[in-house]
Amino acid sequence: MGQDVASTYYLLPSALFVTKQQYYVTTILGSCVSVCFWDPLLGYGGINHFMLPLWNGRELESPKYGNVSIKKLFDKMLELGCKKENMVAKIFGGGDILSMTNDKFNIGERNIEIAKESLKELNIRVTAESIGGTRGRRIVFNTKTGMVTMKYIEKS
Amino acid sequence: MIITDEDLLHELDRRFRECKKMLDEQKELSRELAIANKKLIDSESLKSHFISSITNEIINPFASVLGLSRNILLLKNGDWNKVSNMAKMIYAEASGLNFQFRNIFAAAKIEAGDVSIESVDSDICELSEQVIESLRHEAEKKNIIIRMKNDFNLRKFNTDPEKVRLIMVNLLSNAIKFSEEGDEVILYLENDNRNLVITIVDHGPGIENLEEESIFDRFVKGDSNINSVNPGHGIGLSVVKSFTELLSGSIEFVNSGEGCRFTVKIPESRTSTDIYNFSEEAGNENESNNEVF
Repeated sequence: MGQDVASTYYLLPSALFVTKQQYYVTTILGSCVSVCFWDPLLGYGGINHFMLPLWNGRELESPKYGNVSIKKLFDKMLELGCKKENMVAKIFGGGDILSMTNDKFNIGERNIEIAKESLKELNIRVTAESIGGTRGRRIVFNTKTGMVTMKYIEKS
Repeated sequence: MIITDEDLLHELDRRFRECKKMLDEQKELSRELAIANKKLIDSESLKSHFISSITNEIINPFASVLGLSRNILLLKNGDWNKVSNMAKMIYAEASGLNFQFRNIFAAAKIEAGDVSIESVDSDICELSEQVIESLRHEAEKKNIIIRMKNDFNLRKFNTDPEKVRLIMVNLLSNAIKFSEEGDEVILYLENDNRNLVITIVDHGPGIENLEEESIFDRFVKGDSNINSVNPGHGIGLSVVKSFTELLSGSIEFVNSGEGCRFTVKIPESRTSTDIYNFSEEAGNENESNNEVF
């Protein structure tokens, strides 16, 4: 399949996207984290974009929160017909873009932590990552090939 | 075949170890179950609360719509005045239902991560007038006047009008609910550096300190005394908050003791050309300064 037949999608914060088709999914990450799930056998992919690590049990149980978002993305992949044992994951983002020296504000790091923890719990292999640092990232996820191209950005 | 004592001991040992392993696994599973149970109890109580309020807010209006339309059908020699009055009531009940359903579906979409922004050049002034019109009946029931102060001078503002509409309807409808007979509710529109600022002021009883931090929580309603007179299943404000965040806006809440003031500030949406550029670049995987994973 050539690139000309692939569609593009812009993923908003707190949203999820899964597809059986070839899509180029773009998202911009600061301290937020994206987990890309990909099933190499079927060529299906899914991606999230979460802002905070844990749902506080109060606001809407939305994919704004890492623990909710990863679980929902995983379930959606299964719904597409993906097998857990075939799936692999890539993690991006979690930069400390505000350069807060104060640790307790370091949301990026906590977002990364929840992503790694959740994937470990689900027993899904992480095949690539670009996490942490002090810069934002723009990533484009090819849902068919699982390839992610990434560019650092200074400020979004 | 002869079984020696040694074989027997060996087999016993193996079975004991297997048993211990199973017990350990069971312990671990019980622990997990206890955690899951606790979560279930919490969400169950929220759900039952939600279901009971749904009964009031959805079944009851439906019953009215059915009853009223049946009355119209049963009317002999059409009394136009009666028909018109009942149609008015049906319209009001249906508008209320429409609003409740929109909130519920919005919340469901937000929770599914299935939200998108559909920005178009919108006439905010016209939108606000439509919102006020849709709440006129609700306001009239309590003799409340909704006043609009419009200092928003942009003819066209690029945003997702349906999200802004639901934000406004929720905040205004709340203001009406918590106002007393004959009070005034003010909707104030301003333009702050191409940010749409919506302020809604009521003169109701205000919100008690304890509740202040939880007002945006899902399923959480105000104090139970207030509950008895004021309906709502408590998802309105959490939808408002999520939509405001989605539009990169902010929401502020001031409780003056003489009522509440909600201020929502929404920046003009990213211009469509920006999004276009994202998609233009998106297919280009060979760009030189891209890293590939």
